[in-house]
Amino acid sequence: MNAHHEDRLKKLLQQALPPVEAEPEPGRDLWPAMLRRLDARQAAPLRFWAWFDAALLAGLAAFAALVPASIPVFLYYL
Amino acid sequence: MNTHPYLRAYLAGVFVPTLVLPLLLTFVILRFVLQVPVPVEQALIFPMAVVPLLWGLWNVLWLWSAPRTHLPLGLHGAILPFLLMPVGATLATCLGVLAIGSHGVTWFQVCHVPYTLIAPMFLVAVAGYYLVWKYIVGALNRVLGIA
Repeated sequence: MNAHHEDRLKKLLQQALPPVEAEPEPGRDLWPAMLRRLDARQAAPLRFWAWFDAALLAGLAAFAALVPASIPVFLYYL
Repeated sequence: MNTHPYLRAYLAGVFVPTLVLPLLLTFVILRFVLQVPVPVEQALIFPMAVVPLLWGLWNVLWLWSAPRTHLPLGLHGAILPFLLMPVGATLATCLGVLAIGSHGVTWFQVCHVPYTLIAPMFLVAVAGYYLVWKYIVGALNRVLGIA
């Protein structure tokens, strides 16, 4: 490939590819939004289990209140 | 903290039953101070000797098996009542703590539990064990560096 062909190829490439702007970075910082999305994805199952466990605990307390005779039996098994 | 992990697992497991033991002093007071005819001596054998031992060994078993089974600690603990309940009931029957009647069972000669309530009580015990193992034993395992 001689110099003439190299110049031609260079011009063709410059015409085909869009020019890169002076500041290629996005207008705002995307990392906080990314962190928020990651946290939301992790927190969703945790929130479900927290509610499930709280409901179980409430059920336990309600059962002990309704059937007080069960309390010494539970203590026997702890 | 990488030494003796099974010993640390055992100690984390026996922690909760050990804390419950002072609560059983209430029954001792009822028996000896207020002269309530509750068979405390026989009733204390299981919670004082068997339960802490099994809790400790159950936590050791979880530490040993978790890398293969990946079973969460709460679920592992929820399986324990399936072992403890029959053992405890058998021992209680032999020691005269549990009397089996025609309509239900009588614990400690004073607590009557109808047969219809036994299945719900078992489920409640499973739920309680799940919560205690997930939150208390799990936290202890993390503190002792084995979880």
